[in-house]
Amino acid sequence: MFPELSFNIDHGYLEGLVRGFKSGILRQSDYLNLVQCETLEDLKLHLQSTDYGNFLANEPSPLSVSVIDDKLREKLVIEFQHLRNHCLEPLATFLDYMTYGYMIDNIILLITGTLHQRPISELISKCHPLGSFEQMEAIHIASTPAELYNAVLVDTPLAPYFIDCILEQDLDEMNIEIIRNTLYKAYLEDFFNFCKGMGGGTAEVMCEALAFEADRRAFIITINSFGTELSKEDREKLYPRCGKLYPDGLEMLSQCEDYDQVRTVADYYAEYKELFDDAGTNPGDKTLEDKFFEHEVKLMKNSFMHQFQFGVFYAYVKLKEQEIRNIIWIAECVAQRHRAKIDSYIPVF
Amino acid sequence: MPIFRSEEMVLCQFFLQSEASYACVSELGELGLVQFKDLNPNVNAFQRKFVNEVRRCEEMERKLRYTEKEIRKEKLKLHDQGENPRAPAPKEMVDLEAKFEKIESELREVNTNNEALKKNFQELSELKEVMTKTQMFFMAHGEDLHSIVDDAHRAMGQEDTGIVTATQGSVQLGFVAGVIPREKVPGFERLLWFACRGNVFLRHESIYQALEDPVSGDPVYKDVFIIFFQGEQLKNKVKKICEGFKASLYPCPETPQERDEMLRGVNTRLEDLKTVLSQTADHRHRVLVGAQKEIRTWIIKLEKIKAIYHTLNMFNFDVSQNSLIAECWCPSSALNEVRTALKNGELLSGSTVPSIVQMMQTKKKPPTFFQTNKFTKGFQAIVDAYGVASYTEVNPALYTIITFPFLFAIMFGDAGHGIIMFAFGLFMILNEKKFTRQRSDNEIWNTFLGGRYIITLMGLFSIYTGMIYNDIFSKSANIFGSAWRMGDYNETTTLSEYEEYTLDPIYFFRNGTPYPFGIDPMWQPAKNKIAFLNSLKMKLAVIVGISQMLFGICLSLFNHLHFRKYLSIFVEFIPEVIFLGCLFMYLVGLIFYKWVTFDASESQCAPALLIQYINMFMFSSKLPNSTASSGALVPCSQVTFYPNQQTLQYVFVICAVLSAPVLLLVKPLVLRSRHNRKMLLSGRAPGVKSTEALIPNEVTAEEEWAYSHRLQRMQADGNTVSRSVNSEDEEVPHNGPTSIFLVEEEEDDFEFGEVFIHQAIHTIEFCLGCISHTASYLRLWALSLAHAQLSEVLWQMVFSLSLKMDIAYIGGIAVFALWFAWANLTIAVLLLMEGLSAFLHTLRLHWVEFQSKFYEGDGVNFAPFTFKELLKMDSLEDLK
Repeated sequence: MFPELSFNIDHGYLEGLVRGFKSGILRQSDYLNLVQCETLEDLKLHLQSTDYGNFLANEPSPLSVSVIDDKLREKLVIEFQHLRNHCLEPLATFLDYMTYGYMIDNIILLITGTLHQRPISELISKCHPLGSFEQMEAIHIASTPAELYNAVLVDTPLAPYFIDCILEQDLDEMNIEIIRNTLYKAYLEDFFNFCKGMGGGTAEVMCEALAFEADRRAFIITINSFGTELSKEDREKLYPRCGKLYPDGLEMLSQCEDYDQVRTVADYYAEYKELFDDAGTNPGDKTLEDKFFEHEVKLMKNSFMHQFQFGVFYAYVKLKEQEIRNIIWIAECVAQRHRAKIDSYIPVF
Repeated sequence: MPIFRSEEMVLCQFFLQSEASYACVSELGELGLVQFKDLNPNVNAFQRKFVNEVRRCEEMERKLRYTEKEIRKEKLKLHDQGENPRAPAPKEMVDLEAKFEKIESELREVNTNNEALKKNFQELSELKEVMTKTQMFFMAHGEDLHSIVDDAHRAMGQEDTGIVTATQGSVQLGFVAGVIPREKVPGFERLLWFACRGNVFLRHESIYQALEDPVSGDPVYKDVFIIFFQGEQLKNKVKKICEGFKASLYPCPETPQERDEMLRGVNTRLEDLKTVLSQTADHRHRVLVGAQKEIRTWIIKLEKIKAIYHTLNMFNFDVSQNSLIAECWCPSSALNEVRTALKNGELLSGSTVPSIVQMMQTKKKPPTFFQTNKFTKGFQAIVDAYGVASYTEVNPALYTIITFPFLFAIMFGDAGHGIIMFAFGLFMILNEKKFTRQRSDNEIWNTFLGGRYIITLMGLFSIYTGMIYNDIFSKSANIFGSAWRMGDYNETTTLSEYEEYTLDPIYFFRNGTPYPFGIDPMWQPAKNKIAFLNSLKMKLAVIVGISQMLFGICLSLFNHLHFRKYLSIFVEFIPEVIFLGCLFMYLVGLIFYKWVTFDASESQCAPALLIQYINMFMFSSKLPNSTASSGALVPCSQVTFYPNQQTLQYVFVICAVLSAPVLLLVKPLVLRSRHNRKMLLSGRAPGVKSTEALIPNEVTAEEEWAYSHRLQRMQADGNTVSRSVNSEDEEVPHNGPTSIFLVEEEEDDFEFGEVFIHQAIHTIEFCLGCISHTASYLRLWALSLAHAQLSEVLWQMVFSLSLKMDIAYIGGIAVFALWFAWANLTIAVLLLMEGLSAFLHTLRLHWVEFQSKFYEGDGVNFAPFTFKELLKMDSLEDLK
């Protein structure tokens, strides 16, 4: 009757843990210190005084940005795996759902890589460890989507999402993009329905987050499709139908032909209007992508205001990802001595 | 007296020549008596002066950590020979760096070689396995590949054979063989099936012996597989899948002769490799043993260097004089040692300009520092666990040394148990050198070891109280001869024959001297033992408790005198003593009075303490003598103890009640009027939110107390320090003591409401506390009763059963077995569990009932910069 009453029995420990992890997220003052760094060694020294601790202590100098990236990611993965290993149903399924997105990205990365004749071992190291699965490394045997499905994906949790894109055509760039978006669409809708089925605080928080994710994808797909051979009908098929744009907004989006028309569509929705209004392409302006990220961070921070729900796990991973992007951005700026744009990270807290 | 109050601290400023600063800080670290302040709290870690040196240290640390890990991998231990090398001079850092670099690169080289060799070895042994397994496989099924497949299909089901034989012979079957980790086999098999649509044929077999992973050295279990397929396209696919699953493929010749040939070659190569491997392992071992001897020294040296540079990073740099400016707290008694240490540092570094030590005046609260020895350490820890003493307030640890074991022993009163506890404590003390050197990881054992002196004293005191209670494993000892006599008592009868007697002093007490020490053993078998002991122990508990509380209040007098809070003596200390004295000391007085004046013959008509005490508060006592009253029969218990009792009690109660408002109101009102007067003098309207000191008399008092004999701060030098950084510090660079304590703006607002509420809380806490704490001390009685009863039950229910058993021979066995049970239960329940519970209750009595009377406990512990902790480490990882 009241799922909140018994929430703590199964998930209280992990929720507490994740809220503890959250307090280790870098704050504005940390970023202010980080942007003052002259070298990557400085960066390492400052990160030592934060929650990251000695995560770089065993790395020989000189540091490179990619090493920092790997280590940052490794820390997140260790934390996530710890949560995953200690959780009970339905949180286990929820966390699994979170990894599916990374799996899709990995599959696409591998296929694109093989298309470009890159060796598989080099590609594997670039995959996100949260989305790795057993059959992943054998992906390059497939040359058509049908093969991909039959040989590799049929045993993975992604199989049901793949049903819509089984074609006998050869894989090419366009195809891959379509596969990625179809998979993502199916994944988001499935995850959305799962969360909705959970009810309570989880549904409240997660549906909002996933709806935003879906709408963001719809906008990006539309904007990126201008000037390609993707037809309007095909494009419409790629829109995830679980966001606030569904159904009218998606209908309008599918008819758009340039950026301004997309903008008109966004004008109908208060929260998206704001994002489009502030975004610009001039130097000094924030890009639309950054605005989306900012909005995401805001949503994720809000989800920590609710208790007894799974949204915090999702939010933590998303915020941590944003933090990793920020640190890497700063590290790149420091490493390349290109300090003009070092401030365009997106502060979390 | 360093344990009565914490050490007097001074804030010093050091001007160190930059070339001498390293050596000086190193000397101070060895001394371990100064606590440096961070003078650049707003500077980032990576913008500090010595960040490069710190980084070099971290790099060296990384190398050492690697070396240590390798040493541990080789199952070698780090030995602690008690070495304490000094921190090397900064120029020696380069040598250390080179040394570590050499060791690390040597180790890495050895390891890479070793890994390559091992990898080679692994591959060869896998190849060998592949060869033997395929050989066996082909032997079993014949050389013709088709027949193998046919065999398999026939085994699977008859209907398939037709299809296979149809394709038979038309295409040449190929095969690949290889090795795959065992856990990947099912997925591999399934993917092969899906990807090749069932057109390949896989056989796999386990390698029983675990192979060694070349990098980590962990055992890996693998399977040999052989895959048959048809055509070039499938071959590519199979190879890709193998690559995806990290399966290693090995060339496998088609004919048996070639396979035999290859197997022989592989075997000889394996033998060669084994010798090479053992040689590299020997070499590696030699390198590591060499490093093992010195690594502890290295770690200590390195950590000292790092600590020194971290400390130097907290200093200010004065460019004009090329010197570093440090600020630190140090005990004023240790100033000479500090100066000597600095001189040594100068000598070591060969600096010509001496460093300057200068006292500073500050309003910051100094840290609390008690010099403890191994005996007082445990007791100080008990007090510190509640709260670190405020600077120079009375330290309860001094009294705790005696009162703690004593209160414990009142609850744990059994001489037998006391002896065991004492012996255990003594055992730890006698072997303390050995035990402390062992550095056990067992937390429970370390707790016991840390409290060894407490345990010993607790045991000793328990023996004493046990003798008073006359309880030795719940039995009594009749040493001096009982002072009681039974009707037919003679010297030959034993006490146990009187089990059923109720002792009544009128009939049984020999009118001679009572039992000279403790409780008469006659009470042990008596029926009314509990009634007697309850009355005695309860009264003792109240007496002990009230005395301890009164003592606590008296200690607050020392605090008031020390901090010159004379007002508090009159409006806090005296009302508190009156309150406690009139109500509770009077009760104690009544207890003694009753003990002294009423003997057994009058006991039937003695006034009851409880009723008298209640009547005192109800103002409703009866007349002194029942016979003198107007004929109505007054129960004996209601009769007063002495004439004029009622009047005296009226006075006491009224005094106590009146002291409460004094405690509550006077202090805030006096403070306010003082404050207002000051405001008027300084020309500001009273009541306006002011910036004056909270309690003016205390500030002036502090001024005289702490700073009257301090050196003045040198104005000239003070200006060179960059003030912008530590503008928050309260140091005031004025010329003389008169101006220093002009109170600064923005702090010390006088808020009447706040002061009043604070005082109200204190009053309520004290008055209610007196009552509830007195009741709380009754736990002394309750626990001692429980302990005595529990040990008696254990004796009667377990051990005495065996003594009563009257069976030949078997009785002996029963005695043995039941003694064993009794002894174990005594240790586990009575000593450990009861001991722990008594310990906790004692702890509570000290923290809450005793310390709340005078102890403030909001100080900060003195955390000196010292290398001592470094020497305790076992590994580099411990230092994180």
